[in-house]
Amino acid sequence: MTSTTDKLVDDYLKRLNRELVGLPRARRRELVEEISGHIAEARSAMETENEAAIRTLLDRLGEPGDIAADARERFGIEARGSRSGWDVVALIMLLIGGLILPVIGWFIGLILLWVSDTWTTGEKLIGTFVVPGGLALPVLLELTATSAEVCGSLNGQEVVCEGGRSLAATILVIAGMSLLFLAPIVTTAFLARRRSRATVAPAV
Amino acid sequence: MVAQQDALLAQMRRGTLQYCVLALLADKERYGFDLVRGLAEMDGMVTSEGTIYPLLSRLRRDGLVESSWQESPTGPPRRYYRLTEAGRASLEGFRLEWGRFRDAVDHFVERTARS
Repeated sequence: MTSTTDKLVDDYLKRLNRELVGLPRARRRELVEEISGHIAEARSAMETENEAAIRTLLDRLGEPGDIAADARERFGIEARGSRSGWDVVALIMLLIGGLILPVIGWFIGLILLWVSDTWTTGEKLIGTFVVPGGLALPVLLELTATSAEVCGSLNGQEVVCEGGRSLAATILVIAGMSLLFLAPIVTTAFLARRRSRATVAPAV
Repeated sequence: MVAQQDALLAQMRRGTLQYCVLALLADKERYGFDLVRGLAEMDGMVTSEGTIYPLLSRLRRDGLVESSWQESPTGPPRRYYRLTEAGRASLEGFRLEWGRFRDAVDHFVERTARS
């Protein structure tokens, strides 16, 4: 019983923290702290704590999205701030920046990612490490792998080495490469989706 | 027409909520949950209780209220809010304006109700 109610509260606070994206970090922490304190006070004042009582309490607090919209309005922050254009640039540069401007392009994307208020720290970490360099990494690996297969030239003709790898190794390499290609694309899609979280007008 | 009225009432509530909070803090300091309970005593003042907290945060940043942590007999420490001088002045200013505004609106709205 207790675990169900704990989970309800936990989910609510997590949702609230996510929705408050866009607010300065200190404001965001303060709001989550205060509302979490409110819930704790209300719970300790309850005669009997059950799921219905917790749900009523959370309903009275209101939808996390509504509280976040209200907070944005109070602090004069647009739902989709002026930075949103930069957010798009960040995602593009993270994905293919390394191909346009080797190494530097991806770093530009990385800086834009970290200065943005749009994403949480966890999401930024995912953006950073999956995959460093974006698509440039697998492309680079693919290129070096292909050139390595050219053993040398004989009478001006390139000689491709054969039988250097076993079938299993080849499959493994193909799988690994596909993963390296796919991962940055999935990450970009994930971050883009996080960015486009719908923001509704504040409830009063 | 009804939807328009709802929107107007919502805006009025939103605009005046800040002064109701300041007024609740005028005689004593309170913590968030206590403030919400105070506001909830009057029906229709707050529909989404959680929105009090962005308001408190904003008031604090604007210097109309200040806060301090105090131990609670029942659980973790509480953040108590109290009026600053600026907050008191803001509340006084609103009180005068609100009285005039309410009288003016009453003058017309109540007269038509009687006739």
